[in-house]
Amino acid sequence: MKNLRRSILRAVVLMALIASAFAVRVGEPAPGFTAVDSNGKQQHLSDYKGKFVVLEWHNQGCPYTKKHYESGNMQRLQKEWTAKEVVWLTVISSAPGTQGFVTPTQENDYVKTMNAVPTAVIMDPGGSLGHLYAAKTTPHMFIIDPSGTLIYNGAIDDHPTSDQSDIASSKNYVSAALQQSMSGKPVTEAATRPYGCSVKYKD
Amino acid sequence: MVTAAAAQPAGTQHARVELLSHQETVSLGGNLQAGVHFILEPGWHIYWVNPGDSGQPPVFKWQLPAGFSAGEIQWPRPERMQATPQLADFGYHHEVLLPVTIHAPSSATINSPVEIGVEAKWLICREVCRPEHAQLHLTLAVAASGKEDPRSAPLFARTEKLLPQPMPRGWKASVRSGKDEFVLALDTGKRITKAEFFPLEPGQIDNPAPQKIQPSRSGCRITLKKSDLLLKPITVLRGVLVIPSGAAYRIEAPVRESLQ
Repeated sequence: MKNLRRSILRAVVLMALIASAFAVRVGEPAPGFTAVDSNGKQQHLSDYKGKFVVLEWHNQGCPYTKKHYESGNMQRLQKEWTAKEVVWLTVISSAPGTQGFVTPTQENDYVKTMNAVPTAVIMDPGGSLGHLYAAKTTPHMFIIDPSGTLIYNGAIDDHPTSDQSDIASSKNYVSAALQQSMSGKPVTEAATRPYGCSVKYKD
Repeated sequence: MVTAAAAQPAGTQHARVELLSHQETVSLGGNLQAGVHFILEPGWHIYWVNPGDSGQPPVFKWQLPAGFSAGEIQWPRPERMQATPQLADFGYHHEVLLPVTIHAPSSATINSPVEIGVEAKWLICREVCRPEHAQLHLTLAVAASGKEDPRSAPLFARTEKLLPQPMPRGWKASVRSGKDEFVLALDTGKRITKAEFFPLEPGQIDNPAPQKIQPSRSGCRITLKKSDLLLKPITVLRGVLVIPSGAAYRIEAPVRESLQ
Protein backbone atom coordinates (compact mmCIF):
# COMPACT_ATOMS: atom_id res chain seq x y z
CA MET A 1 0.00 0.00 0.00
CA LYS A 2 2.77 2.35 0.97
CA ASN A 3 4.62 1.47 -2.22
CA LEU A 4 1.52 2.00 -4.28
CA ARG A 5 1.00 5.39 -2.68
CA ARG A 6 4.59 6.28 -3.33
CA SER A 7 4.37 5.29 -6.97
CA ILE A 8 1.16 7.31 -7.38
CA LEU A 9 2.91 10.26 -5.80
CA ARG A 10 5.82 9.75 -8.15
CA ALA A 11 3.46 9.62 -11.12
CA VAL A 12 1.80 12.83 -9.99
CA VAL A 13 5.14 14.59 -9.61
CA LEU A 14 6.17 13.29 -13.03
CA MET A 15 2.92 14.59 -14.53
CA ALA A 16 3.60 17.99 -13.03
CA LEU A 17 7.09 17.98 -14.52
CA ILE A 18 5.75 16.98 -17.91
CA ALA A 19 3.19 19.74 -17.62
CA SER A 20 5.84 22.37 -17.15
CA ALA A 21 7.61 21.12 -20.27
CA PHE A 22 4.55 20.71 -22.50
CA ALA A 23 1.78 23.25 -22.61
CA VAL A 24 -1.84 22.19 -22.54
CA ARG A 25 -3.04 23.39 -25.91
CA VAL A 26 -6.35 23.15 -27.68
CA GLY A 27 -6.08 20.69 -30.55
CA GLU A 28 -3.54 18.54 -28.73
CA PRO A 29 -4.11 15.45 -26.60
CA ALA A 30 -5.37 16.34 -23.12
CA PRO A 31 -2.90 15.10 -20.50
CA GLY A 32 -4.08 11.98 -18.72
CA PHE A 33 -4.49 11.92 -14.97
CA THR A 34 -5.47 9.82 -12.02
CA ALA A 35 -7.00 11.64 -9.10
CA VAL A 36 -9.19 10.96 -6.09
CA ASP A 37 -12.75 12.27 -5.88
CA SER A 38 -14.78 13.41 -2.87
CA ASN A 39 -16.10 9.86 -2.39
CA GLY A 40 -12.59 8.46 -2.23
CA LYS A 41 -12.91 6.91 -5.67
CA GLN A 42 -10.10 7.08 -8.20
CA GLN A 43 -10.88 9.03 -11.33
CA HIS A 44 -8.83 8.19 -14.42
CA LEU A 45 -9.26 10.38 -17.46
CA SER A 46 -8.62 7.29 -19.60
CA ASP A 47 -11.81 5.69 -18.21
CA TYR A 48 -13.80 8.30 -20.08
CA LYS A 49 -12.38 7.73 -23.54
CA GLY A 50 -15.29 7.89 -25.98
CA LYS A 51 -17.07 10.58 -23.97
CA PHE A 52 -16.86 14.33 -23.71
CA VAL A 53 -15.29 15.43 -20.43
CA VAL A 54 -15.72 18.88 -18.87
CA LEU A 55 -13.27 20.04 -16.18
CA GLU A 56 -14.54 22.86 -13.97
CA TRP A 57 -12.11 24.50 -11.53
CA HIS A 58 -13.99 25.41 -8.38
CA ASN A 59 -13.70 27.44 -5.16
CA GLN A 60 -16.95 27.81 -3.25
CA GLY A 61 -15.80 31.06 -1.54
CA CYS A 62 -14.85 32.87 -4.74
CA PRO A 63 -17.33 35.58 -5.86
CA TYR A 64 -17.07 34.41 -9.49
CA THR A 65 -17.84 30.79 -8.57
CA LYS A 66 -20.70 32.06 -6.39
CA LYS A 67 -22.09 33.98 -9.36
CA HIS A 68 -22.57 30.72 -11.25
CA TYR A 69 -23.69 28.56 -8.31
CA GLU A 70 -25.98 30.95 -6.41
CA SER A 71 -27.76 31.74 -9.67
CA GLY A 72 -28.05 28.02 -10.44
CA ASN A 73 -26.26 28.54 -13.76
CA MET A 74 -23.53 25.97 -13.15
CA GLN A 75 -26.02 23.37 -11.89
CA ARG A 76 -28.16 23.93 -15.01
CA LEU A 77 -25.13 23.32 -17.21
CA GLN A 78 -24.15 20.21 -15.25
CA LYS A 79 -27.68 18.85 -15.52
CA GLU A 80 -28.06 19.62 -19.20
CA TRP A 81 -24.75 18.17 -20.30
CA THR A 82 -24.49 15.14 -18.01
CA ALA A 83 -27.96 14.19 -19.32
CA LYS A 84 -26.28 14.10 -22.73
CA GLU A 85 -23.62 11.65 -21.50
CA VAL A 86 -21.00 14.32 -20.86
CA VAL A 87 -18.69 13.60 -17.91
CA TRP A 88 -18.49 16.65 -15.67
CA LEU A 89 -15.56 16.77 -13.25
CA THR A 90 -15.45 19.63 -10.77
CA VAL A 91 -11.89 20.15 -9.50
CA ILE A 92 -10.86 21.82 -6.25
CA SER A 93 -7.18 22.82 -6.17
CA SER A 94 -7.35 25.12 -3.12
CA ALA A 95 -4.49 24.21 -0.77
CA PRO A 96 -5.24 23.52 2.91
CA GLY A 97 -5.64 26.81 4.76
CA THR A 98 -6.65 28.74 1.65
CA GLN A 99 -10.03 29.91 0.44
CA GLY A 100 -12.08 27.12 -1.08
CA PHE A 101 -10.26 24.25 0.63
CA VAL A 102 -12.82 21.74 1.87
CA THR A 103 -12.76 18.21 3.19
CA PRO A 104 -14.48 15.53 1.09
CA THR A 105 -17.41 15.51 3.55
CA GLN A 106 -17.78 19.29 3.40
CA GLU A 107 -17.72 19.13 -0.38
CA ASN A 108 -20.33 16.40 -0.53
CA ASP A 109 -22.55 18.48 1.77
CA TYR A 110 -22.04 21.51 -0.49
CA VAL A 111 -22.91 19.54 -3.62
CA LYS A 112 -26.09 18.34 -1.92
CA THR A 113 -27.09 21.78 -0.61
CA MET A 114 -26.45 23.47 -3.95
CA ASN A 115 -28.18 20.71 -5.94
CA ALA A 116 -25.04 20.41 -8.02
CA VAL A 117 -24.83 17.34 -10.26
CA PRO A 118 -21.23 16.90 -11.41
CA THR A 119 -20.19 13.36 -12.30
CA ALA A 120 -17.57 13.68 -9.55
CA VAL A 121 -15.62 16.29 -7.59
CA ILE A 122 -11.86 15.81 -7.71
CA MET A 123 -9.99 16.79 -4.54
CA ASP A 124 -6.66 18.29 -5.61
CA PRO A 125 -5.32 20.05 -2.50
CA GLY A 126 -1.74 19.47 -3.67
CA GLY A 127 -2.53 21.28 -6.91
CA SER A 128 -1.00 18.67 -9.21
CA LEU A 129 -4.02 18.39 -11.51
CA GLY A 130 -4.36 22.18 -11.49
CA HIS A 131 -0.73 22.57 -12.50
CA LEU A 132 -1.02 19.79 -15.09
CA TYR A 133 -3.76 21.76 -16.88
CA ALA A 134 -2.36 25.18 -15.90
CA ALA A 135 -5.73 26.08 -14.38
CA LYS A 136 -5.61 29.76 -13.52
CA THR A 137 -8.97 30.85 -12.20
CA THR A 138 -12.19 29.71 -10.59
CA PRO A 139 -14.06 29.00 -12.69
CA HIS A 140 -11.69 27.82 -15.46
CA MET A 141 -13.23 25.40 -17.94
CA PHE A 142 -11.68 22.71 -20.13
CA ILE A 143 -13.40 20.35 -22.56
CA ILE A 144 -11.91 17.09 -23.80
CA ASP A 145 -13.56 15.37 -26.76
CA PRO A 146 -14.24 11.61 -27.07
CA SER A 147 -10.88 11.08 -28.82
CA GLY A 148 -9.05 12.64 -25.86
CA THR A 149 -8.23 15.93 -27.59
CA LEU A 150 -8.55 19.20 -25.72
CA ILE A 151 -11.18 21.23 -27.60
CA TYR A 152 -11.80 24.12 -25.21
CA ASN A 153 -9.69 26.04 -22.68
CA GLY A 154 -10.98 29.18 -21.04
CA ALA A 155 -13.81 31.13 -19.48
CA ILE A 156 -17.28 29.87 -18.73
CA ASP A 157 -18.85 32.77 -20.65
CA ASP A 158 -18.19 36.14 -22.24
CA HIS A 159 -19.05 38.37 -19.23
CA PRO A 160 -15.99 38.50 -16.95
CA THR A 161 -17.84 39.84 -13.92
CA SER A 162 -19.13 38.56 -10.59
CA ASP A 163 -22.67 39.90 -11.22
CA GLN A 164 -25.37 37.27 -11.49
CA SER A 165 -27.47 39.69 -13.54
CA ASP A 166 -24.98 39.37 -16.41
CA ILE A 167 -25.65 35.66 -16.92
CA ALA A 168 -28.87 36.11 -18.92
CA SER A 169 -27.11 38.15 -21.60
CA SER A 170 -23.93 36.04 -21.66
CA LYS A 171 -22.78 33.66 -24.32
CA ASN A 172 -21.83 30.41 -22.60
CA TYR A 173 -18.61 29.19 -24.20
CA VAL A 174 -18.87 25.68 -22.72
CA SER A 175 -22.33 25.02 -24.13
CA ALA A 176 -21.35 26.54 -27.47
CA ALA A 177 -18.24 24.35 -27.73
CA LEU A 178 -20.10 21.18 -26.75
CA GLN A 179 -22.93 21.91 -29.19
CA GLN A 180 -20.55 22.58 -32.05
CA SER A 181 -18.34 19.62 -31.37
CA MET A 182 -21.26 17.22 -30.92
CA SER A 183 -22.63 18.25 -34.29
CA GLY A 184 -19.27 17.64 -35.91
CA LYS A 185 -18.33 21.28 -36.33
CA PRO A 186 -15.09 22.91 -35.30
CA VAL A 187 -15.27 24.97 -32.10
CA THR A 188 -15.23 28.63 -33.16
CA GLU A 189 -14.14 30.01 -29.77
CA ALA A 190 -11.77 27.32 -28.53
CA ALA A 191 -9.52 29.40 -26.27
CA THR A 192 -10.62 32.41 -24.26
CA ARG A 193 -9.21 34.23 -21.24
CA PRO A 194 -10.61 32.47 -18.18
CA TYR A 195 -11.92 34.90 -15.61
CA GLY A 196 -12.34 34.73 -11.86
CA CYS A 197 -10.34 34.40 -8.68
CA SER A 198 -6.86 32.95 -8.93
CA VAL A 199 -6.66 29.26 -8.07
CA LYS A 200 -5.40 29.12 -4.48
CA TYR A 201 -2.39 26.88 -5.03
CA LYS A 202 -0.04 25.82 -2.30
CA ASP A 203 2.87 27.33 -4.24
CA MET B 1 -22.44 79.11 -4.09
CA VAL B 2 -19.98 76.32 -4.80
CA THR B 3 -16.60 77.71 -5.63
CA ALA B 4 -14.46 74.63 -5.78
CA ALA B 5 -14.51 70.93 -6.47
CA ALA B 6 -16.44 69.21 -3.72
CA ALA B 7 -15.73 65.52 -3.50
CA GLN B 8 -17.41 63.12 -1.17
CA PRO B 9 -15.13 60.17 -0.46
CA ALA B 10 -16.70 56.78 0.03
CA GLY B 11 -15.35 54.13 2.33
CA THR B 12 -15.75 50.50 1.37
CA GLN B 13 -14.52 47.49 3.25
CA HIS B 14 -11.00 47.54 1.83
CA ALA B 15 -10.64 50.93 0.14
CA ARG B 16 -11.33 54.63 0.40
CA VAL B 17 -12.45 56.03 -2.92
CA GLU B 18 -13.14 59.56 -4.16
CA LEU B 19 -13.94 61.36 -7.38
CA LEU B 20 -11.47 64.19 -7.96
CA SER B 21 -11.02 66.94 -10.50
CA HIS B 22 -7.73 68.46 -11.58
CA GLN B 23 -9.51 71.80 -12.10
CA GLU B 24 -11.52 73.81 -9.64
CA THR B 25 -14.03 74.85 -12.28
CA VAL B 26 -15.45 73.67 -15.60
CA SER B 27 -15.06 75.81 -18.70
CA LEU B 28 -17.51 75.68 -21.62
CA GLY B 29 -16.27 73.62 -24.53
CA GLY B 30 -13.27 72.58 -22.49
CA ASN B 31 -11.85 69.35 -21.17
CA LEU B 32 -11.90 68.55 -17.52
CA GLN B 33 -9.44 66.05 -16.12
CA ALA B 34 -11.32 64.00 -13.52
CA GLY B 35 -10.33 60.75 -11.87
CA VAL B 36 -11.26 58.14 -9.35
CA HIS B 37 -8.73 57.98 -6.55
CA PHE B 38 -8.33 54.65 -4.74
CA ILE B 39 -6.56 54.35 -1.41
CA LEU B 40 -6.31 50.64 -0.72
CA GLU B 41 -5.99 48.77 2.53
CA PRO B 42 -2.41 47.50 2.92
CA GLY B 43 -1.94 44.15 1.17
CA TRP B 44 -4.94 44.56 -1.12
CA HIS B 45 -4.81 45.34 -4.83
CA ILE B 46 -7.00 46.30 -7.76
CA TYR B 47 -6.41 45.58 -11.43
CA TRP B 48 -5.03 47.07 -14.64
CA VAL B 49 -7.00 47.12 -17.91
CA ASN B 50 -5.51 43.68 -18.67
CA PRO B 51 -5.73 42.10 -15.23
CA GLY B 52 -3.47 39.18 -16.13
CA ASP B 53 -4.30 35.64 -15.08
CA SER B 54 -7.14 36.49 -12.71
CA GLY B 55 -9.12 39.49 -11.53
CA GLN B 56 -11.10 42.20 -13.26
CA PRO B 57 -10.38 45.87 -14.04
CA PRO B 58 -12.50 48.63 -12.44
CA VAL B 59 -15.51 49.85 -14.42
CA PHE B 60 -16.92 53.39 -14.28
CA LYS B 61 -20.44 54.34 -15.28
CA TRP B 62 -20.70 58.12 -15.56
CA GLN B 63 -23.70 60.26 -14.77
CA LEU B 64 -23.15 63.54 -16.61
CA PRO B 65 -25.28 66.57 -17.48
CA ALA B 66 -26.62 66.70 -21.06
CA GLY B 67 -23.93 67.41 -23.61
CA PHE B 68 -21.05 66.21 -21.43
CA SER B 69 -19.07 63.13 -22.38
CA ALA B 70 -16.48 61.00 -20.62
CA GLY B 71 -13.47 59.36 -22.25
CA GLU B 72 -11.78 56.07 -21.46
CA ILE B 73 -9.81 55.40 -18.29
CA GLN B 74 -6.16 56.44 -18.68
CA TRP B 75 -4.37 53.54 -17.02
CA PRO B 76 -1.15 54.29 -15.13
CA ARG B 77 1.58 51.72 -15.62
CA PRO B 78 0.80 48.57 -13.68
CA GLU B 79 2.80 46.52 -11.22
CA ARG B 80 3.29 42.81 -11.65
CA MET B 81 1.73 40.83 -8.83
CA GLN B 82 2.86 37.26 -8.64
CA ALA B 83 1.70 35.18 -5.71
CA THR B 84 2.81 31.83 -7.15
CA PRO B 85 5.17 30.81 -9.97
CA GLN B 86 2.17 29.80 -12.09
CA LEU B 87 0.05 32.94 -11.94
CA ALA B 88 0.74 36.61 -12.51
CA ASP B 89 -1.68 39.52 -12.29
CA PHE B 90 -1.26 43.18 -13.24
CA GLY B 91 -2.58 45.98 -11.08
CA TYR B 92 -2.05 48.47 -8.31
CA HIS B 93 -1.22 48.42 -4.62
CA HIS B 94 -1.50 51.18 -1.99
CA GLU B 95 -2.92 54.02 -4.03
CA VAL B 96 -3.84 54.82 -7.60
CA LEU B 97 -5.65 57.58 -9.48
CA LEU B 98 -7.47 56.46 -12.62
CA PRO B 99 -7.91 59.64 -14.68
CA VAL B 100 -10.69 60.20 -17.23
CA THR B 101 -11.11 63.23 -19.47
CA ILE B 102 -14.56 64.77 -19.37
CA HIS B 103 -15.58 67.03 -22.20
CA ALA B 104 -17.93 69.91 -21.50
CA PRO B 105 -20.22 71.22 -24.26
CA SER B 106 -19.72 74.74 -25.56
CA SER B 107 -23.37 75.70 -25.28
CA ALA B 108 -24.02 78.40 -22.74
CA THR B 109 -27.06 76.63 -21.36
CA ILE B 110 -25.13 74.72 -18.73
CA ASN B 111 -26.45 75.28 -15.28
CA SER B 112 -23.87 76.12 -12.70
CA PRO B 113 -22.79 74.31 -10.63
CA VAL B 114 -22.25 71.14 -12.64
CA GLU B 115 -22.93 67.80 -10.97
CA ILE B 116 -20.75 64.90 -12.06
CA GLY B 117 -21.46 61.43 -10.81
CA VAL B 118 -19.85 58.07 -11.31
CA GLU B 119 -20.79 54.57 -10.26
CA ALA B 120 -17.50 52.75 -9.78
CA LYS B 121 -17.29 48.97 -9.55
CA TRP B 122 -14.06 47.15 -8.90
CA LEU B 123 -12.64 43.89 -7.69
CA ILE B 124 -10.22 44.11 -4.77
CA CYS B 125 -8.07 41.14 -3.81
CA ARG B 126 -5.49 40.02 -1.32
CA GLU B 127 -5.41 36.22 -1.17
CA VAL B 128 -9.16 36.41 -1.59
CA CYS B 129 -11.23 38.74 -3.75
CA ARG B 130 -14.20 40.98 -3.02
CA PRO B 131 -16.29 42.91 -5.50
CA GLU B 132 -16.83 46.47 -4.25
CA HIS B 133 -18.66 49.51 -5.58
CA ALA B 134 -19.31 53.13 -4.74
CA GLN B 135 -21.43 55.99 -5.97
CA LEU B 136 -19.30 59.14 -6.13
CA HIS B 137 -20.13 62.77 -6.79
CA LEU B 138 -18.37 65.98 -7.63
CA THR B 139 -19.79 69.49 -7.87
CA LEU B 140 -17.99 72.08 -9.97
CA ALA B 141 -18.75 75.70 -10.77
CA VAL B 142 -18.69 76.89 -14.38
CA ALA B 143 -16.05 79.52 -15.15
CA ALA B 144 -14.50 81.02 -18.26
CA SER B 145 -11.24 79.21 -17.74
CA GLY B 146 -10.48 76.12 -15.72
CA LYS B 147 -8.22 76.78 -12.76
CA GLU B 148 -6.15 74.07 -11.11
CA ASP B 149 -7.37 72.78 -7.80
CA PRO B 150 -4.37 73.09 -5.49
CA ARG B 151 -5.56 70.15 -3.40
CA SER B 152 -5.70 67.60 -6.22
CA ALA B 153 -3.13 69.05 -8.65
CA PRO B 154 -0.09 67.31 -7.08
CA LEU B 155 -1.81 63.92 -7.31
CA PHE B 156 -2.78 64.49 -10.96
CA ALA B 157 0.78 65.64 -11.71
CA ARG B 158 2.24 62.54 -10.06
CA THR B 159 -0.16 60.30 -11.94
CA GLU B 160 0.65 61.98 -15.26
CA LYS B 161 4.21 60.69 -14.87
CA LEU B 162 2.92 57.13 -14.47
CA LEU B 163 0.84 57.18 -17.66
CA PRO B 164 2.47 55.32 -20.54
CA GLN B 165 3.71 57.72 -23.21
CA PRO B 166 3.58 57.20 -26.94
CA MET B 167 6.73 55.60 -28.30
CA PRO B 168 9.28 58.38 -28.94
CA ARG B 169 9.97 59.26 -32.56
CA GLY B 170 12.96 57.35 -33.78
CA TRP B 171 12.25 54.27 -31.69
CA LYS B 172 11.59 51.04 -33.53
CA ALA B 173 9.74 48.05 -32.18
CA SER B 174 9.20 44.78 -34.00
CA VAL B 175 8.35 41.24 -33.04
CA ARG B 176 9.50 37.92 -34.44
CA SER B 177 7.13 35.11 -33.70
CA GLY B 178 8.73 31.75 -33.00
CA LYS B 179 7.09 28.47 -32.13
CA ASP B 180 6.72 29.09 -28.41
CA GLU B 181 7.84 32.68 -27.97
CA PHE B 182 7.75 36.22 -29.27
CA VAL B 183 10.99 38.14 -29.45
CA LEU B 184 10.33 41.86 -29.09
CA ALA B 185 13.20 43.88 -30.54
CA LEU B 186 13.46 47.48 -29.41
CA ASP B 187 15.73 49.95 -31.10
CA THR B 188 15.81 53.11 -29.01
CA GLY B 189 19.31 54.36 -29.63
CA LYS B 190 20.24 53.57 -26.05
CA ARG B 191 21.19 50.35 -24.32
CA ILE B 192 18.38 48.91 -22.18
CA THR B 193 19.34 46.45 -19.46
CA LYS B 194 16.11 46.33 -17.51
CA ALA B 195 12.57 46.49 -18.82
CA GLU B 196 9.27 44.75 -18.47
CA PHE B 197 6.55 44.28 -21.05
CA PHE B 198 2.89 44.27 -20.02
CA PRO B 199 0.60 42.94 -22.76
CA LEU B 200 -2.60 44.90 -23.39
CA GLU B 201 -4.46 41.92 -24.83
CA PRO B 202 -5.06 38.91 -22.62
CA GLY B 203 -4.26 35.45 -23.93
CA GLN B 204 -1.21 36.35 -26.05
CA ILE B 205 1.64 36.05 -23.56
CA ASP B 206 2.19 33.61 -20.74
CA ASN B 207 1.99 36.11 -17.89
CA PRO B 208 4.05 34.38 -15.17
CA ALA B 209 6.89 33.30 -17.47
CA PRO B 210 10.11 35.22 -16.82
CA GLN B 211 10.90 37.75 -19.54
CA LYS B 212 14.45 37.34 -20.81
CA ILE B 213 16.17 40.62 -21.66
CA GLN B 214 19.17 40.74 -23.96
CA PRO B 215 20.60 44.26 -23.97
CA SER B 216 22.00 45.51 -27.25
CA ARG B 217 23.96 48.64 -28.02
CA SER B 218 20.87 50.48 -29.20
CA GLY B 219 18.11 48.87 -27.17
CA CYS B 220 17.26 45.33 -26.22
CA ARG B 221 15.49 42.14 -27.17
CA ILE B 222 12.84 40.73 -24.86
CA THR B 223 11.79 37.09 -25.11
CA LEU B 224 8.15 36.56 -24.19
CA LYS B 225 6.69 33.07 -23.84
CA LYS B 226 3.46 32.59 -25.79
CA SER B 227 0.22 31.85 -23.97
CA ASP B 228 -1.41 28.43 -24.18
CA LEU B 229 -4.53 30.31 -25.21
CA LEU B 230 -2.93 31.73 -28.35
CA LEU B 231 -4.16 29.56 -31.19
CA LYS B 232 -3.85 31.92 -34.15
CA PRO B 233 -1.02 34.14 -35.35
CA ILE B 234 -1.27 37.80 -34.40
CA THR B 235 -0.21 40.67 -36.62
CA VAL B 236 0.53 43.22 -33.94
CA LEU B 237 1.62 43.02 -30.31
CA ARG B 238 0.35 45.86 -28.12
CA GLY B 239 1.46 46.58 -24.63
CA VAL B 240 3.23 48.84 -22.20
CA LEU B 241 6.98 48.78 -21.76
CA VAL B 242 8.10 49.82 -18.32
CA ILE B 243 11.72 50.85 -17.89
CA PRO B 244 12.27 50.83 -14.13
CA SER B 245 14.69 53.74 -14.16
CA GLY B 246 12.54 55.78 -16.50
CA ALA B 247 9.17 56.08 -18.06
CA ALA B 248 6.57 53.73 -19.48
CA TYR B 249 5.81 53.60 -23.19
CA ARG B 250 2.94 52.32 -25.30
CA ILE B 251 4.35 49.77 -27.69
CA GLU B 252 2.65 48.65 -30.87
CA ALA B 253 4.93 46.25 -32.69
CA PRO B 254 4.25 44.49 -35.97
CA VAL B 255 4.67 40.73 -35.70
CA ARG B 256 6.49 38.65 -38.29
CA GLU B 257 6.50 34.87 -38.30
CA SER B 258 10.04 33.58 -38.21
CA LEU B 259 11.02 30.33 -39.85
CA GLN B 260 12.69 28.09 -37.34
